[in-house]
Amino acid sequence: MNESIAAWPLSLRLAHWLSAVLVLAALGLGAYMVLLVANPAQRFELTQTHKTIGIAILALTVARLCCRNLMRAPKPEHAERLILFAAKASHIALYLLLLLMPLSGWLMATTTPIRVPTLLFGLLELPYPLAPNLATYRLAHTAHVWLAILLASFIALHVAAAMVHALIWRDRTLTRMWRVPVRNAPSPTNRNPHVAQARYSGQPPVI
Amino acid sequence: MSTSARSQARVEFCWAIRRFAVVCALATMGFGGVQAASRAQSWRIDEAQTWIGFKIDAVGFPTTHGHFAHYKGQILIDFDRPAKSYTNFTVDAASVDVGSPSFNNFVKSTALLDVERFPAMSFVSTQVEKLDSHTARVNGNLTMLGVSRPITLTVDVETDPSAKGRLIAFVAKGTIARSEFGMKFGIPLIDDALEIIVKTRAQSDE
Repeated sequence: MNESIAAWPLSLRLAHWLSAVLVLAALGLGAYMVLLVANPAQRFELTQTHKTIGIAILALTVARLCCRNLMRAPKPEHAERLILFAAKASHIALYLLLLLMPLSGWLMATTTPIRVPTLLFGLLELPYPLAPNLATYRLAHTAHVWLAILLASFIALHVAAAMVHALIWRDRTLTRMWRVPVRNAPSPTNRNPHVAQARYSGQPPVI
Repeated sequence: MSTSARSQARVEFCWAIRRFAVVCALATMGFGGVQAASRAQSWRIDEAQTWIGFKIDAVGFPTTHGHFAHYKGQILIDFDRPAKSYTNFTVDAASVDVGSPSFNNFVKSTALLDVERFPAMSFVSTQVEKLDSHTARVNGNLTMLGVSRPITLTVDVETDPSAKGRLIAFVAKGTIARSEFGMKFGIPLIDDALEIIVKTRAQSDE
């Protein structure tokens, strides 16, 4: 079970980068349409696109979590206890936010008194399971905004951590999410005592 | 009652019907005659210069401006007796344009205009009152979603002196509470108050 693999499975790597593109698009579009678009028709169209991207992220994240729990993950490159804990906690937070963002958006679309059908990719109608309720809508809206800020912060942290791994610790954390590293090739990470320790300690993979 | 008496009664009844029809016809003609005598000129609406629109605000959404592309209208003006002036407009609800196809479809849906059930909206004036040399107040009935309610429009009237009074421009504005017509969707996030704006230019051939 603890047998190490060199890189993330292709499906999870694809899911990661697809998710990255979709999440940045949804966050960017959400902020742009709310803060900068003053044309109602354009705002209407962009909101539809934003909802489609959001639901796509929800579906992708659910699929991704299933794969993540079924497939073997590579061991963490950095094994210091605190770092492992921080990595695990921020990854759990990211996954949770990837679920909560679209769910709070869906709750908004469901409970708003301005109920507009959501046509996913312009075709499939998203079901609205709850009745319109202004108080719930306001709560969902506030949650959606704060979760977005939180998600943006965790993405910044995630990117910063990847940069630290790649540029300061010079390990393979980023590489193995990008491409399959050549097995047994001399790795710059060998220079890092933490990594050497992690590689041979047989620690279970973190999330 | 004998047979002859019965047929006599039938004949009299038929005459009564005929007399009534003639009275009706005369009354109608007389009514038309009165209208003709009022010197209310009919003005031709310049379609290129006409805008039948509306404006509505919402919380967290930009102000929406829309208009109707297809309409029919009539303007009769009596300058000597402004109260004799008359106007009516009927718009094709499905011709609503708020700027994009899917937004249009949403406005046409059952939530708002419900154009399949209510394909037309109309305004018929009931009273025209001159306020000053270039302002008039027009009261009339607006029919929307099958509900008719009296509304008031304030009309700015501008004549074009170069066209010798044969060109006239109107800007009519009025605010309605759409909930009174049964359009309650989105209240209070979308305002109940809806501003109607009709801009038009008309020409007289006389």
